[in-house]
Amino acid sequence: MTDETFDTDLILAIFKLVWSRRAETSDEKDEAINVEVGASTSKKNRGTTANASSLKVSCELLRFFVTEAVQRAAILAEAEGSDKIEATHLERVLPQLLLDF
Amino acid sequence: MAAEPRDGGFEKEKEEEEAAAERAELLRDRFRLSVISIANAEAEKVVMGISEPVVACIADLAFKYTEQLAKDVELFAQHAGRKSVNMEDVILSAHRNDHLAGLLRSFSQELKGKEPQTERKRKKSSKSDDKALAS
Repeated sequence: MTDETFDTDLILAIFKLVWSRRAETSDEKDEAINVEVGASTSKKNRGTTANASSLKVSCELLRFFVTEAVQRAAILAEAEGSDKIEATHLERVLPQLLLDF
Repeated sequence: MAAEPRDGGFEKEKEEEEAAAERAELLRDRFRLSVISIANAEAEKVVMGISEPVVACIADLAFKYTEQLAKDVELFAQHAGRKSVNMEDVILSAHRNDHLAGLLRSFSQELKGKEPQTERKRKKSSKSDDKALAS
């Protein structure tokens, strides 16, 4: 039962990328006041992290997203008698998928 | 007021930006690879073929979803006065879909169960089993 899933390190790396981007944009607003450009002190103060189990649950959530997309599109493809999932199938399941996630 | 140091500062920023963009591309590519293997495995399970553009599209959507998730869980953790994101934050991000939240909750409980607290849980469940038998 080797279910494919995402790597927690990869997900953490992506999270950190997003978090530092967000810290940067709010830092830019502060920079007008701060003279030092190299100061990453505000970033360090934000320093959001995630614990191991939250990463595992995140991986599971993302895995669901992918499998749901495939499963829903597959149902549509099958209903139309096709044996291959095509863009037209994904297109039609996308609205509901995005609403559900 | 001093022009020269500022120029040097901007160059550094540009370099940093480029390096960050490269790192982001690398992560995207690794992410895409994961999605490809998960999507293909799932397609096999339902005995279906799946076209490459479809998988690429799912990968892009999933990446955007991940970025959104990062933002959401950070907000939830900060709202709770924490710097560290925990499982509840992730489960909360799925609040719009009860079914999904339920699945995540069971998953998180399984995770908890795998920790050294398993013995306590077993005792608890056997107690409630006895009660059920008694009634």
